[in-house]
Parts: sequence; C-alpha cells; structure tokens
Amino acid sequence: MSSYSYPGGVVIANPYPVDQVKIIQSPLPDKVVLPLQQRIGEEAKPCIEVGDRVLTGQVIAQTEDQFCVPIHASISGIVTAIDKQAIPHKSGLKSTCISIESDGKDEWIKTKGCGSDFLHCDKQTIIDYIQHSGVVGLGGAGFPSHAKLNKAIDCHTLIINGTECEPGMMCDEALMQHHPREVIRGVEILLHITGAQQAIIAIEDDKQEAYQSLLMFNHNDRISFAQLPAKYTSGAEKLLIKALLDVEIPSGGFAADKGILCQNVSSVKAIFDAVIDHRPLVSRIVTITGDALTPTNVEVRLGTSFEQVISLTDVNNQAHDYRMGGMMMGVDIETTQMPICKITNCIFVNNKTLKQPAKECIRCNTCNTVCPIGLLPQQLYWHAKSENIEKCTDYHLSDCIECACCSYVCPSNIDLVSYFSFAKALDKKQTADQERIDIARDRFEFREYRLDRNKEERSQMMAEKKQALKEKMAKDKEQGLEQTDKIAQAMARVKKTKEDNV
Amino acid sequence: MYSTGFNTNQIMRQVIYALALGISASYIFFGWGIVIQILLGVVSALVIEAAFMAIRGRPVLESISDGSAVLTAVLLAISIPSIAPWWIIVVGVAFAIIFGKQLYGGLGSNPFNPAMLGYAFLLISYPLQMTTWPVDFSAFSQAINIIFNALSFDGLSGATRLDEVKTGLSLGNNLATMQVHSTSQAWINAGFLVGGIYLLVRKVIFWHIPVAFLSGIIVMALLVLIFDSQTHLPVQNHLMLGGTMLGAFFIATDPVSASTTPKGRLIYGFLIGVLIVVIRNYGGYPDGVAFAVLLINMTVPLIDHFTQPKVFGRA
Repeated sequence: MSSYSYPGGVVIANPYPVDQVKIIQSPLPDKVVLPLQQRIGEEAKPCIEVGDRVLTGQVIAQTEDQFCVPIHASISGIVTAIDKQAIPHKSGLKSTCISIESDGKDEWIKTKGCGSDFLHCDKQTIIDYIQHSGVVGLGGAGFPSHAKLNKAIDCHTLIINGTECEPGMMCDEALMQHHPREVIRGVEILLHITGAQQAIIAIEDDKQEAYQSLLMFNHNDRISFAQLPAKYTSGAEKLLIKALLDVEIPSGGFAADKGILCQNVSSVKAIFDAVIDHRPLVSRIVTITGDALTPTNVEVRLGTSFEQVISLTDVNNQAHDYRMGGMMMGVDIETTQMPICKITNCIFVNNKTLKQPAKECIRCNTCNTVCPIGLLPQQLYWHAKSENIEKCTDYHLSDCIECACCSYVCPSNIDLVSYFSFAKALDKKQTADQERIDIARDRFEFREYRLDRNKEERSQMMAEKKQALKEKMAKDKEQGLEQTDKIAQAMARVKKTKEDNV
Repeated sequence: MYSTGFNTNQIMRQVIYALALGISASYIFFGWGIVIQILLGVVSALVIEAAFMAIRGRPVLESISDGSAVLTAVLLAISIPSIAPWWIIVVGVAFAIIFGKQLYGGLGSNPFNPAMLGYAFLLISYPLQMTTWPVDFSAFSQAINIIFNALSFDGLSGATRLDEVKTGLSLGNNLATMQVHSTSQAWINAGFLVGGIYLLVRKVIFWHIPVAFLSGIIVMALLVLIFDSQTHLPVQNHLMLGGTMLGAFFIATDPVSASTTPKGRLIYGFLIGVLIVVIRNYGGYPDGVAFAVLLINMTVPLIDHFTQPKVFGRA
C-alpha cells in the first residue's frame, strides 16, 4: 500500500510516543486573549468596546479584506481590554488583542447553518458560512479556507491532508480517531462545493487507528484513502500532491492551477461545524508533548494561555524549554504567557538542556541528500552566511520550504534553516529597498529632465522673444526714421503756426 | 538542532578508526616505522593547530578536539615512506595545516586536501627522502635509529613497485620481464579497501566518490592497455599498487575539498581515477594520487556549478 514515495525527507520516530491518543477537554478559561492580526491581510477592527458583554461565537472584530475571516469571542463574558499583547509569532512582536473575562456561563449566540441536508445549499452560501465562521488552515499555515475554495471552485481532486508528519504531533490523529464522522461529512461538503470527482484522504501509515475509524464511517465511493510511509515532510502540500498524483506544481504556482484542492483534516472538521450548524471556530485541539510531561491532546478554547493548557497535564516542576508548532518547523519560545491561536497545533515542554554550539560546515553533503525540494542547502548556507542574496537566488532560495530537514541531519549542528529564513528576509528587504531606490531615482531623473526641459523651453522662448524683439526693433527703426520725419514735420508745422501767430 | 547519526567530531574519528586495518598491514610488512611516523605527525599537528588557532584568536581546545588536524597528520604519515627522517613528517604536517587549511580560514574553508598538499610539497622539495621506501620489516629500535639518527641500512630501503616499473620501462625493458606484483602493497591496499567499506556501511562517506574513482582507474587503465599492453600495467596492478585504495576511500572522499552534488561527486571521483592512470603511465612521477586529487580539487567549483540537481517545481 505504501507505494507513495518522494525523494529526501527524514524518518524520525515520535520522540515522545504514547500508548493511546486521547483528547482532554480543557475547562473553560477565566480569560481569553484574541489577536486581531491574521496570517495575511490587514488587522481586523474591533466592533465591540471595552466593557461590552459578548456571547460565545459573537463576532468581535472584522475587516473588509476578502482574504480575512472575522474574529469570534471564544467564551461569553465582558471585554476587559483592547491592547497590545504578546502573541505566538516567531517575530516575538506584540500585536493588538481583545481580552475577554469569562462569566462562566458559556452562553452561545444563536446560529443556523445548512443543517445536515447541506446539498440544498448553494455553493456560495456554503463558502460564506465557512468564511463567517472563521475557518482557516489548522495545519499550521492558517491560510483562510474560503479563499482557497474560491480559487479551486472547479477542481477535479480534493486532497485531505491527515499526514501530520511533524514528529511528536498528534492533534490531527486524535481528531481523526475521535471525530471520523465529522471529517467524512466535511469531505462530502467539500465535494459538493467543488464538484470534484474524487477526494483522497492522506494518512501516514503509522496512524492505523485513525485510518480504521475513518474507513468505518466512509460510505462514499468518491472518497478514497492513501497511506503514506511515515516520513517527515510528507505533509508538505506540493510534495504530497506529487506523491499521490504524480503532479508537480511549478515553483511559484498553486495547487488550484492544476485543479487540486488541499485541505487539512482539522480544517475539514471545522468546515463541517461551520456549514451544518454555522458554528464558529472557537476551539481547537492542541498537542502538548515533550519529556517534561505525559504527552496528550487538549481541546481548548482559542485565546487560552499556553500556561493554563500546560497546567492541565502532569508537567514536572523543573526548568523548561518551550517550543510551539512542531519539533521541526516550530519556534522556540521564551514565555508561556501567550494565547492559543488557530494555528497553534503543538506545544513542546522539555526539561532545560544546554544547546550544543554549531561547528564549521565540512561540506559533508548530508543536507543535500535530505532536502525534499532538491536544493543544495550546503551551498545556500555558504551564500546566505556571506549575505550574497544574488547567489542565493541562483540556488533557488525562494523554493525552500523551511522544513528543517537539513538542520536536523547536520553533523556540525548548524541551524541551516535559520540562515535561510534570514536570507529570505534580507532578500525581501533588499527588494523593497531597491524598489524604493528605483522610485526615488525615477523621480529624481524625471525632475532633472523636467528642469532641463524647462530650461530649454525657457531659453528657446527667450531666443524667440529676442528674435521677435530684434525684428520689431529693426522694424521700429525703419518706422522710427519715418517717425522722426513725421515729428520733424510736425515740429516744423508747429513752429510755422507759432510764427504765423506772432 | 536535533543531530542524528554522527557529529563532525565523530565523523573524523570514524575515519581514523577505519584506517587501522591498512596501518596494521603496513606494520606487519615494514615494522614500527609507520607507528612512529603517525605519532610524530599527530603530535606536531596538534601543536601547530593549537598554536595557529591561538594566533588567530579562536578557541584552541574546540579546534584540536575536532579531530581534523589529527586526521590530516595520520593520512600524511601513511602516505610518506615509513623510514623517512623525522623532520619530513613535521615539515609536511606544518605545511598541510598552515598553508593547506588555516590560511584559508580553517576547517571547512580549504579548497585543497591538506594532507595531499603536504605530500605534494614534500615530494617536490625532498624527492630523495620521499622516494626511499622500506623493503623489509624493521624493529622498534631499528626504526627509531633510521628515523631520528638518519642511519641508513643497506638492503632495507628501495623504490616502490610502481617506481621500479617506471624506471624499468624508461630503460627500455619489457613489462613481461619485470615483477609487477607486490604482496605487501596488495595487502595494505586491501586493508584500506576493507576500512573504506566500513565507512560506507556506517554511512560516514557516500558511495559516489570511491565507486567513480575506481571506475576511472579501471576505464583509463583498460583504455591504455588497448593501445599498448607491452608498456602499461594491467588493471589489477593499478588497483592494488601505490595509494589507490587509500586515495579512493580516504583522500578523495574528504568532503571539504570534494564536489558537493551527487552527480558532481561522480564526475569528481572519475576524473581523479583517470588522472591517476595518466600520471602513472605518462607523467614524471611513479604514483599520481596526490597530484590527481589536487588538480581535480581545483575544478570543484566548476563541477558544482554545472551539476546542480533539479529543484522541485522547476524545469
């Protein structure tokens, strides 16, 4: 069955395995913090004020931006603040957030969706439901699902990504095990919207229980399953499409261009909730793992602090290293005073260890062999380190998906991928700077040209005027002679008259 | 971040361990010379590396513990005659580490294989000492005397088989009348071959370079045989004489100075193999591993540039 393969990638056993994949329901938090900035588009504008009472699921901020989704209150209670707070983002910058203090009632707004008979709803209504329920890619990218759907409205194949290749992460696995019906129904909704001929649910072959439970609920012959070998980066969208359908999405292109739509399995469940009940996305399943606790999954309201979620586990009371969003692609974080967001899929809590310092690169080539994109990380590292962006572009830096396979295998312990994200940021900045410089230069050159032109026009005008004046003077001179004659004659006449009068 | 397999220091150590068989074979045939040379080389390498790192203001301990200087010294000590005077290895190691590595910026930045650079330097500067090879087993005290007191023992030293063949051919002798086989050399080469296979199995080195290297030798040796079988060595002698196996598995596979792309490594290894046969058959020196490696080292940026693998989503 596991015939789907692709080059590169690394096989990593789950570092913190569990016997049973469970979901703990987190109790209602006392307070939630909801950031207004989404993955793309502008920051949402609050449509409530401090002191207002809000219900669970009520829209508290929105934007006109078609790429964005509204932000919903995840508990009922009183809005206590709209201010800048730490959010889980690798930049470490603060962002505007709405804080809500719970009233403990969890009172929901009334919503009405398509109901279980969604087939009578037309496509646009369903997509609107999905947008207004705040569904985004829950796999970690956070790309709004409605935007993806609008782009792939006539696709022929749906790929439901349940690979969850990040070692240690098991929130999607838990969801597939515990909500198979919702997932299958969600896929049927997507089939209805897109009119796709087939949907393939991709699962890594080490998640047998999840596979079996989905299989049990699937009675739709347009939905099939694909079991991929458990190898890291199998979940990367373009690589997954290549492995399943042998279609290579060109660099810079989109899956939709080839008539393929990819959706994360958790997003599919959220779509089910959004369409059937028009229930907004206010919670998600988060994996809490690491060697400082017994790994588990927690279903938690958005905006709950990391700290509170971690406290639900049997975490030990030593000093910890924290990391969010996957062992490979995640980022280390300093504080747990941050809210769970839609893209917060995993939190690592490890006992504090000393980081090994990086050594020199010995060009051993191991990184080249694991790069699933076929890049040469070693060469890229060389050029990124010397900030030679032009060379980095030659080596296709922009195609790097930052999967960190290269960093993982590096015998010299070099964090290659951080050099690549740095080089990408530098490239972006240089391009922006160059654009600004180009605009400024264009403006300057036009000014110079304009001044020159004015000068020329002016001198031409002056020359013409001079010429005209000269001609006029010459004429005047001729006329002047006549004039003098006339004056003389007149004077003579005057003189004569005077003499006559005397 | 999350290293698996070997780290850089362990890679260096693994390579040194893998040399043990070949070194043992040399010891069995020629005695204590090689052991003394290795010890001399390692000590001087550590001293020179430490001194240079101190001058450069870099962490000394970290650098000498990475094993790269030791590996360079061991490779050079194996390559030179085991009865060479003590200062040969010291001068060679100093040249290899200072001019071959540190002046380029240290580990990872050198375009040439340091050990081979040291070897080439010694061969050009001290041709007599570098071509006087042992022909028999020497005991510990004997080896000490030869190396430190420059005592020469007649009947103990001579030319290598490749050297003899070269000289014989230049005198107009027929290959058929000459001894082209050397049991000791064959055993030493076999030792390095087994060590190399160990490195392949442990995934310390990739197969591309050794396979291409040996293919290069075989192809080129066959090619010259087609034209003239009277004055050229048969393929099996090319493989089992001189520095062939050491070169294929331990010298050409030095990742720092080798090509980095899979296709590039095949080209790189093959060219070295071809060049070795060319130098042995038509060049001025009996063996050509060092020069072939150094010459092809120079072409690495070019090879790397033209052998970039296909990137996903690009034509």
